[in-house]
Amino acid sequence: MSITSALNAALTGLSATQRQAEITASNVANATTPAYARREVQLGAAVLAGTGQGVMVMGITRQVDQYVLAERRLAQAGDGDRALRSEFLGKVEASIGSPDQPGSIGARIAAFDRSLIEAASRPESEARLAVVANSARSLASGLAAASQDVQQARGTADRMIARDVDALNAGLAQVQDINATLRSFSGVGRDISALLDQRQRVIDQISAIVPLREVPREGNQIALFTTGGVSLLEGTPARFGFTASNTVTAEMTLAAGGLSGLTVNGRSVDTAGTSSPVLGGRLGALFAVRDDLAVTAQSGLDAMARDLVERFGTPAVDPTLAPGDPGLFTDQGAAFLPVNEAGLAARIRMNTAADPSQGGALFRLRDGLQATVPGALGSNTLLKNLHLALSAPRVLSSAGFAAGNRDMAGLAADVLSDASTRRLNADSEASFASARFATLSDLEKQGGVDTDQEMQMLLVIEKNYAANAKVIQTVSNMIDTLMRLGT
Amino acid sequence: MSRLSVGDASLTSILQRQGAFLKGQVQRASTEMVTGKLTDLGAGVRGDFSPLAAIDASLSRLSGYKAATTDAGVFAQAMQTVMATFSQISGEVGTTLLRSASLTTPAQVDTAAAEARARLGTALAGLNTKVSDRALFGGVVTDRPPLGSADDLLTALQPTLAGAVTAADVETAVKGWFTTTGGYDTFYQGGTPTGPILIAAGEEAEMSITALAPAFRDTLAGLAMAALLDRGLLFGQSSARADLAQRAGLTLHAGEEKRAVLAARLGTVEKQIEDAKTRNSAEDTALKISRSDIAAAEPFEAASRLKELQSQLESLYLITSRVSRLSLAEYLR
Repeated sequence: MSITSALNAALTGLSATQRQAEITASNVANATTPAYARREVQLGAAVLAGTGQGVMVMGITRQVDQYVLAERRLAQAGDGDRALRSEFLGKVEASIGSPDQPGSIGARIAAFDRSLIEAASRPESEARLAVVANSARSLASGLAAASQDVQQARGTADRMIARDVDALNAGLAQVQDINATLRSFSGVGRDISALLDQRQRVIDQISAIVPLREVPREGNQIALFTTGGVSLLEGTPARFGFTASNTVTAEMTLAAGGLSGLTVNGRSVDTAGTSSPVLGGRLGALFAVRDDLAVTAQSGLDAMARDLVERFGTPAVDPTLAPGDPGLFTDQGAAFLPVNEAGLAARIRMNTAADPSQGGALFRLRDGLQATVPGALGSNTLLKNLHLALSAPRVLSSAGFAAGNRDMAGLAADVLSDASTRRLNADSEASFASARFATLSDLEKQGGVDTDQEMQMLLVIEKNYAANAKVIQTVSNMIDTLMRLGT
Repeated sequence: MSRLSVGDASLTSILQRQGAFLKGQVQRASTEMVTGKLTDLGAGVRGDFSPLAAIDASLSRLSGYKAATTDAGVFAQAMQTVMATFSQISGEVGTTLLRSASLTTPAQVDTAAAEARARLGTALAGLNTKVSDRALFGGVVTDRPPLGSADDLLTALQPTLAGAVTAADVETAVKGWFTTTGGYDTFYQGGTPTGPILIAAGEEAEMSITALAPAFRDTLAGLAMAALLDRGLLFGQSSARADLAQRAGLTLHAGEEKRAVLAARLGTVEKQIEDAKTRNSAEDTALKISRSDIAAAEPFEAASRLKELQSQLESLYLITSRVSRLSLAEYLR
C-alpha cells in the first residue's frame, strides 16, 4: 500500500510541476501583454482519507493589486481629461498666433495699421491703397480662420463624444457578457483567469472614457459606478444616449439648442458642473471643450471682431457713412447688430465697396465707402482717421473683459494672453495628471511578470520534476527488487 | 508591501519615458539654438503677451512711419529746391530789370523782358514739378500740374489789362489779378492743401504749401509784369516800358522776404521730419533690444543645455543596453 502511495505522490508531483511549467510558460509569453496579470499555481498537500496523498493544484491565482489598479484607472481617466483640454487650448493659442508669427492675428492687425500709415503719407498711390485693402481683407480672413479652427475643434469634439458614447455602451455590454460567462464558469473549478484578464481590459477602455469604481459582487461578478455616482453596470448595463451634429457653428450651443446633451437610460444628465456624473474622464473633457472652452475662445475672437467692426463703422471716421451703414468691416456685408455678436468672427468681411477683388474700388478707402466718384487724389484725412480709429484706446462693448481702454493691438494681445494663460494652466495640470498616471502605471507594471523570477521558478520546477521522476524510478527499482525475490 | 519581483514592463516603460522626455528636450534646445526663438513663447512670457504685442505693434508702426518720413523728406526737399529756384530767378531777373530800366535803352528793356518771360516759364515749371508722380504744389489734386504754361498765364492776364495805359495801371491790374478772387486762384487748377502727414506716433508734418502761397504770387506777378513787355505791352512808349520794368524789378526784390519766410517754414518741417526719422530709428533699435530680452532664446544657454542633455541621453543609452543584458535567461545556458 505505501509503495503505491509513494508512486501516486510522485505522479501528483509530476503533474503539479507540469501545471506549474505551463503557467510559467504563459507568464513568460505574456510578459509584455497589457492587462495580463501574473498567475501563480496554488499548491496544497493532497489529503485522502486523512492521510497525505502527494500534492494537488488548489487553483490558479491572478496576482492583481486591486488598489493600484483602481487608482491607475482614475489617474488614466484624469490624464485623458487634462491632456485633451490642454491640447485644445494649445490649438486655440496657435490659431490666434503669437505676434511674431506672420499669419497671426496680432501680425495682421500690425500690417493693417502700417499700411494705413503708409497710404496716408501718399494717398494718391494705388499700390498703397491696394496694400490697405489686402491687409484689411487678410485681417478679416485671419479672424475667420481662427474662428473656423475653434469651430472645427468643437465639431471634432462632438463626433468624438458620439464615438466614446458608442464605445461606452459597447464596453458595458461586453462586461455584462463576461459577467454572465463567469457566473456559469465559477464553481465548476475551471481556470477563469483569461476571462478576468479580458474583463479587466474592457473596463480599462471604459475607464478612460468615464472615471469609474469597480465593486466586487458574489461569484466573480462586478458592478461599475462612475465616481460621479451613476451606476454603469449593476446586473444590467446603463444605456448612454447622444446624437452627433453634422456641423457645428458658433451660433449653436448646448444652452441655445442645436447640440445634443447626454442621456443615461433616457434621462438627461448634466455634462458640466459638480452634479455631472461623467466628469473626470475623456467624455467630460470633450463636453468641456465643446460647451465651455471653445465657447470662451470663440467669444474672445468675437469680441475682437466686434471691436474691429465698431471702430470703423461710425460717421466720425468716415463722414460718407450714414448711421446704420456698414463700415470698413461688415457682418457678411451687412451692418453689425449687437445681438449678433456670437460667431461674428466667422462672418466678418471687408466691405466689398472698397475691395477691388469683389467689384469695389480702392478710391473708397480714401474718399469714403459711400463715395460714388473718386475725389481729390491727395486727400489723406480719411486714411488718417482709419489709422487713428485702429490705434485709439477704446472701451470694449463685449462683456467678459477687464475694464479699461484698449487699442486694437492691445485687445488682440489680451485675447492671446488669456488663451495662453489658460493653456499654460491646463499644461501644468496635464503634466501633473500625466506624472500621476505614469507613477501608478509603473507601480502596476512592477506587479507584472518578471521573467527573471519566472526563470528561477523554472529552475525549481525543473529540479522538482527531476526529483519526482527520480522518486518514480526509485520506487520502480524497489518494486523490481521485490519482484526478483520471487525468482 | 514588500515585493519579491519587479515586472519587466515597468523598467521598459520607465526607460522609454525617460528617452522620450530627453529627446523632446534635445529637440527643443536644438530648435532654440538654431532659430534663436523660444519654442514655447507663451511659457516664455508666462502667458502675458501684452508687452511683446505692444512692442511688435510699435515696430510695425515704425516701419510704416519709415516709409512716410522718407516720402515726406523727398517731397520737402523737392519743394525746397523749387523755392531755391524761385529765389535765384527773382534775384537775377529783378537785378537785370532794375539795371535795364536805369539805362533807358529800349533794347536793354526788351532783352530784360525776354529774359523775364523765359524765367516765368521756368518758375511755372517749378511749381508744376511732379515728384514720384505727385504734383508738389497742387494740394490734394496730385494727378495734374496746378498751373498752365507761361503763355497761358499771360493770355489769362490779358483781359484785365484792357484800359491800362500807364505802367502804374498795369502794375495795379496785374497785382490785382494775382491777389483777388477770380484771377490767379481760378488759373490755379490744384486743390486745397494736403492734410498733415503722420511721421511718428502722434506727430504730423505740415506739408500745406501750394502754388497759391503769397510768396509765389508776388514773384509770379513781378515776372508776369516784365514778361508782358515782351508780348508788346505799352508798345512804343519806351519810358513807360522802362517804368514798368523797374516796377517789376522792385516787385521781385520786395518778394524776397516772403520767399525767405516760406523757405524757412519748409526748413522747419524738413528738420522735424529728420528728427522724427532719427527718433523712430532709435526707438526701433531700443524696441528690438527689449523684444529680444523678452522673447529671444539665449543660444549659449541652449547650447550648454544641449551638451548636458547629450550626456544624459548617452547615460540612458548605456543603462538601457546594460539593463537589457541583465537577464537570468542569458546565464541559463
